Amino acid sequence: MNNSEDLRDRYKDLILFKRVLIHLKPYSSLVSLAVLLLLAVSILNLSGPYLTKIVIDDHIKEGNINGLDVIAAIYFAVLIFSFIFQFSQTYLMQYIGQKVMFDLRSQVFSHLHKMSFSYYDKNPIGKMITRVVNDVEVLNEMLTSGLILIFSDLFTLFGIFFVMLYLDWKITLVVCIVFPLLAIATRIYRIRARDALRKNRAHVSELNSYTEENLSGMDTVQCFNSEKHNFRKFFSINNERLKEDLRTVRYNAFYMPSIDFFNSLAIGMVIWYGGGRFVQDEIQLGVLVAFIQYLQKFFEPVRDLAEKFNIIQTAMASSERIFELLDTPEQIPSMVPPKNGFKIKGKVEFKNVWLSYNENQFVLKDISFCLEKGESLAIVGATGSGKSTIINALCRFYEINKGDILFDGKSIKDINKFDLRKQIALVQQDVFLFSGKIIDNIRLGNVQMSQEEIKSISIAVNSHNFINNFPLKYEQELIEGGGSISSGQRQLLSFARALAVKPQILVLDEATSSVDMDTERQIKNGIKEMTRGRTSIIIAHRLSTLMYVDKVLVLKNGKIIEFGKRNELLQQRGVFYKLCQAQIKSEQFSAEQ
Amino acid sequence: MNNLKSFLPYVSKYRREFLLGILALIVTDAMTLVVPWVIKEFIDIISEMPVKEQILKYVLLLFLISLGLMIGRYGWRKYMFGLSRKIEFDILNDLFKHLLSLDRFWYQKQKTGDLMSRATNDLRAVREFFGLGVLILIDAVFVIIMAVVMMSFINVDLALKVFIPLPFISVLFFFFVREIGNRHKEVQEHLAKITERVQENLSGIRILHAFVQEEYEKEKFEKLNLEYIKKNLRVTQIFGLFTPTMVFSMGIASMISLWMGGKAVIAEEITLGSFVAFNGYLMLLSWPMMGIGYVFNLTQKGLVGMERINEVFLAKPEIVDEGVKLLDIPNHGELELSKVSFSYSSEEDKILNGIDLKVLPGQTLGIVGLIGSGKTTLAQLILRFYNPISGEILIDGNSIRDFSLHSLRNYIGYVSQEPFLFSTSIRNNIALGNEDISDSEIEKIVQIAGLDSDLKIFPDHIETLVGEKGVTLSGGQKQRIALARTLLRNPKLLILDDSFSNLDSKMEEDLLQNLKKYYRNTTKIIISHRLSVILNADNIVVVDNGAISEQGSHSQLVDLGGVYAELFRNQELAKEMKIIL
Repeated sequence: MNNSEDLRDRYKDLILFKRVLIHLKPYSSLVSLAVLLLLAVSILNLSGPYLTKIVIDDHIKEGNINGLDVIAAIYFAVLIFSFIFQFSQTYLMQYIGQKVMFDLRSQVFSHLHKMSFSYYDKNPIGKMITRVVNDVEVLNEMLTSGLILIFSDLFTLFGIFFVMLYLDWKITLVVCIVFPLLAIATRIYRIRARDALRKNRAHVSELNSYTEENLSGMDTVQCFNSEKHNFRKFFSINNERLKEDLRTVRYNAFYMPSIDFFNSLAIGMVIWYGGGRFVQDEIQLGVLVAFIQYLQKFFEPVRDLAEKFNIIQTAMASSERIFELLDTPEQIPSMVPPKNGFKIKGKVEFKNVWLSYNENQFVLKDISFCLEKGESLAIVGATGSGKSTIINALCRFYEINKGDILFDGKSIKDINKFDLRKQIALVQQDVFLFSGKIIDNIRLGNVQMSQEEIKSISIAVNSHNFINNFPLKYEQELIEGGGSISSGQRQLLSFARALAVKPQILVLDEATSSVDMDTERQIKNGIKEMTRGRTSIIIAHRLSTLMYVDKVLVLKNGKIIEFGKRNELLQQRGVFYKLCQAQIKSEQFSAEQ
Repeated sequence: MNNLKSFLPYVSKYRREFLLGILALIVTDAMTLVVPWVIKEFIDIISEMPVKEQILKYVLLLFLISLGLMIGRYGWRKYMFGLSRKIEFDILNDLFKHLLSLDRFWYQKQKTGDLMSRATNDLRAVREFFGLGVLILIDAVFVIIMAVVMMSFINVDLALKVFIPLPFISVLFFFFVREIGNRHKEVQEHLAKITERVQENLSGIRILHAFVQEEYEKEKFEKLNLEYIKKNLRVTQIFGLFTPTMVFSMGIASMISLWMGGKAVIAEEITLGSFVAFNGYLMLLSWPMMGIGYVFNLTQKGLVGMERINEVFLAKPEIVDEGVKLLDIPNHGELELSKVSFSYSSEEDKILNGIDLKVLPGQTLGIVGLIGSGKTTLAQLILRFYNPISGEILIDGNSIRDFSLHSLRNYIGYVSQEPFLFSTSIRNNIALGNEDISDSEIEKIVQIAGLDSDLKIFPDHIETLVGEKGVTLSGGQKQRIALARTLLRNPKLLILDDSFSNLDSKMEEDLLQNLKKYYRNTTKIIISHRLSVILNADNIVVVDNGAISEQGSHSQLVDLGGVYAELFRNQELAKEMKIIL
């Protein structure tokens, strides 16, 4: 497996970080408040050792017991304030994080809806779900805990540094000798750990997709007796991952103790140098104690940052994926603003239309035909001849490469794509049913539509009968994919769904599945009802359908080989004529039976 | 607890590392506890007789301790964390091996997403329990006991006063963890709802766009999304209190120590050094106090994880080799189904009801029927994906249960309508684990399956990757790859389950010709909606509602004028189009 792609940087970390911060902008005043609170908390948390110093130097050394109660009271007050500030800060930051997550998730969701069908063709659903759900979640974690962590650790680091400078600048400077060592160790660690973590993540994702693939294709695996082979492969990926895992553990096992070592080193230097100065009476004992306590606190944030390195790395990867999606441009942008009350009368014209999904491999080649308002057209052709592509072009699910499609003489490019689709009802071969009530599956988002209206539509397309047989009738809940409904019933339901939008143009991809004869008859009548007086385009899979359309288009390898009125084509004695003869033959045949 | 027991072997495999890790941890903790004492000695000595020579002694001592600490810390990190990774590795391997052995019956009741989450999230919880959980527990117990002992040793009276707020920390932690857990569960459940919504939206995206439902869906999604952040903030309310409470309680303890301790030093009950050391031990206590609660949390998650993983381990396949009597299946046996009935459960209607069938060696059987009539189930029974509830399936008079699954599945080649391809190269998809297959054999199969002209167009020909990173294959191409990988194994019985449905007529005819030419002796069962594929079969059966309703050759069935004749008439257009176009 080739993982180099997963390891390549598509964005620089710093740029990613900045982009994440941009999403905080709408809440900038809240963010500043949170940061201020954080600053206050960090300062308050530093007061403990300083108060200890005062107790030692001003009270214990002097034998002065009087002021101690006051110190205790001050300490208590500090704790109370620190408690309040810290709670407000955490809550505030979480609030902001949640808001940002809300914005981002809605944004990703609506951006997914902006993508065109070619995007959905290429990207598996699971991957897109991960963007909207998991990646946003991880990013939120970075915003709330990660960002806070960085700020609070930085505040603490600087805070301690300044307090130490204030206490005694000479000892502080001596302690500073440790910093370059710490910086070098951190740098060495960061480079290696980053590499190990990234490789590890690539292996983990490979492992997960391999597992998922095996679970989905278990039938095939078992059918081909390839359990052993697949296990060997799984084992080798798992082994690779373990190697990187152990590498990460090893780096941490080296780095973490080294921080502790620097910590001890710093304390040793304070004792050695500070102790010397105490002996010479240059500083007080309390200062020395305070230094030791501050140094212990000083290395906590450093350790913390290293522990959280993993989280931040993961969050970076997530944000990278989110931004990659958000940066995918809308392939069919709406250049034309929507018009209220836009209506198509129903004339449709294809003018020398060319369309390709991949470069240079045209699926539609120079397609031209015209339908007057109210006319019906049947498209026939073999699998892969481009029938569905005509529909995709008509609904503007894909952009045509050359030529033009005209509605009432108006170019498809001058019509807002949403306005256009509102005029077209599409019935697909595979009917998708959403979880929810039957009535909502028919009216979709058109919630103001009354049950009466829907009922009369359902009666017209023969779907009323079976819906009425459900215990809850139109209020019956369906599971996603509509499990309990037969394929014939699905089609009838989708007819009602199409009519509910009161379309000017009807597009129907006839289902090929065989259903029982009664349903077959209901479907046939449903189609007749839908096409009556409406510009209709039908991809025909049944001979009988050809018998009641006005025009016929025969497609082969993306080209039109015959087009015209049904009667004229019959006189031409071409392909269509032969098809009809076959139909007559078989009718005679069944009459004979 | 039983679940925990079944995971112990994984740990005991690495008991050397485990013991070394714990040893290193205890050494580390002991060293940590020495430090405040050294500082106490230092301060006591330095405040009584400030001599420079004394200082160097303490600096050196501290330096030695820190070297020891470093080695100890390195040790427990390496052994304990490394151990947990290795355990995870072993469990995952076993889990995957077990998953490979489970049957279709079991998989039908599972959701892939749920199984994945057991193999990832639950396994992580188990790993953290064995690594972090055990570590923190030992660390916390040891440090708390020792620090308390040391503090009491310095001054019992002072220690008792200071300890007043400490139990609260652990009690609070238990409360917090439980409440956070409850609220967190609500959040998780809501996130599952969001996932479902997104999934449904994407599955039905073509319909949603065709009916211009984008805005409506966005509105619905935002509502769901908004509710989610509300639930999240409910967690925050509790969680936001948690850390500050912790800091506050520890702060109170330090305050008491400073206040009472200061007085004690002035009253000369303890030395200044003891006072400083006392504070030092107090600081050491803060992490283990929180750690105890954390362990509680890790254990809870770990046990749940073990339970969920164990559920998979405890699942047993129903379809297994049952005392294999016959090792070899005759080369070209006669297949017989005798009164075969099947249903998924006793409550459900029968999907197949009393099927009687015979296929002679080398013959072709065609099966037609409406969607849902039970054709595919029939094929799956022959493959032994399920056992029939009554009746027998026999090859040359021997029940297929007498053969090993391995040999049965070697004997049969099955191609489904929507074949599953793996995201690897086309070549690997055809070879499918058969590593020692030669290029020329593959080439021959590719030609028989009519794939050669398709492969020429692909960027890397037969090495082109399938799926996300490679080409998107058409339905017809997938079906032909599936045919190729099946033919490569040279099955004695070939079952084609509507596997030409996405091919054009020319290709369909070519493939049928090739099958006839190269696999003359192979017994074939062809299930199809398209009658053109089975016109020339030796025998055709029509399956209706789980039973055979018509049987005979094509012309016999057309003459019969029943369901088959009607299907045939309905398909004339497709057929004629094939002839004419």
